Amino acid sequence: MTLLQTSLTVNTAAPLARRDALVKLGAALVPALALLGSVDPVSAGIVLTAAVLSVPAWGVRWSGLLRRAWPLALAVVMVTAGNAVFTDRKGGAELIDAGPVLITTDSVAIGLAAGVRIAAIALPGVLAVLTIDPVDLADSLVRHLKVPARFAYGSLAAFRLAPIMAAEWDVLGRARRARGFGGDRNPVTAVQVFAGRVFALLVGAVRRGTALAVAMDARGFDASATRTSARYRPIDRGDVAMLAGSFVLTAVAVTLAVVTGAWNPVISSG
Amino acid sequence: MSRSETSASPRRRWGWRTVDIVVASVLAAAFGVLFAAWNNLVYPTISAPLASSPAAPLIAGVWLMPAVVGGLVVRKPGAALFTEVVASTISMFFGSAWGLAVFMSGVWQGLGAELVFALLFYRRWGFVPAILAGAGAGLAMGLYEATVSSIAPYAWDWKVVYVLCAVATGTVVAGVLGYVLVRALARTGALAPFAAGRTQGEI
Repeated sequence: MTLLQTSLTVNTAAPLARRDALVKLGAALVPALALLGSVDPVSAGIVLTAAVLSVPAWGVRWSGLLRRAWPLALAVVMVTAGNAVFTDRKGGAELIDAGPVLITTDSVAIGLAAGVRIAAIALPGVLAVLTIDPVDLADSLVRHLKVPARFAYGSLAAFRLAPIMAAEWDVLGRARRARGFGGDRNPVTAVQVFAGRVFALLVGAVRRGTALAVAMDARGFDASATRTSARYRPIDRGDVAMLAGSFVLTAVAVTLAVVTGAWNPVISSG
Repeated sequence: MSRSETSASPRRRWGWRTVDIVVASVLAAAFGVLFAAWNNLVYPTISAPLASSPAAPLIAGVWLMPAVVGGLVVRKPGAALFTEVVASTISMFFGSAWGLAVFMSGVWQGLGAELVFALLFYRRWGFVPAILAGAGAGLAMGLYEATVSSIAPYAWDWKVVYVLCAVATGTVVAGVLGYVLVRALARTGALAPFAAGRTQGEI
């Protein structure tokens, strides 16, 4: 079982993929925060359409995106179904009336709006993350958000250990299998073996982290002297334009939702 | 709480050493890898029948564990929040289909546990604080989902069920399991550089 889906070809020279890491995350976050305020098909639909249309500009292939984002499609179906059943908006024509489960045209509408909204919140972030190199993100966090360098680069170091941990996870599984553990059909035994495997992974991770911290301190990681940076990427016009575009898109989506009367604030929608 | 920690100056007690940062991050990375598997394999397949009901948070407890474990191991202000946010960010990079929704959930869940540790003045790290922190993270997760996120259109009574399920899973999975996990980690000696690893003799 491979845990991590890391192999994905992204054209890093694409117009949106080239942007600063934080700018990309910010541009994805702005519409997401606005959409959190309302459950309606208009604003969510506009943001989702724009995100889908922007896919080629991120330098991401459709096939790769589908491979990465299929659980999202499943989640959209689940959120739609769940909200259609458990909402209290039960107006409109009855579609299904099976005991406690009552589904009407209104409840399906609100369910669909909730599903589209989840996709619209998630997709821009998926695209941003697909095209971000974690090193650039750490640099950008330190440079532009003034995040303490020790925390940014410390977590970057741990991030670099993640593929090693994934490989170790495979090794732990094989080692257990060679000793006759794992591969059980009995779910109780399977859970026990799985828990032992997770624990071994964590112990190995903590030991490796402790050794890594000593090595980093030995190289002056904790030094309080002024830190200089080997890489510097200034925020350029393209970055500003991307952020501005994100704000404009969000404003248009919210305005259209309010004008058409579809805006449905979450706090009073219960 | 060990004596060496109480006698230290406030800066030593609350400031982060390199080992605190790195081990919190590494724990977060391990959970991030676990999350990636959970997000992409376990959650969409096994949980599909549950995911569309108010009982859905019962299987979401795994997402709350880094906050409690990070807080209990590092024992510094911000440890619970830092570990949870880093874990959610790393899982985002390793193939999450949820995009920034994962990050936003991580912030809220981390804050829920962090608030509990803060209310205890970062002085209590035993079993009861652990389950309270787990419950806090669960409550934060439930409230966030119920007010603005995926279940905002639910009726009020179903929202209450949802939040109670979230608190229950936070208490049991994140709180109890998290505490047991930290105790077990301490017993291996892996936590030797931390106060959490040195208290094992007193138990």
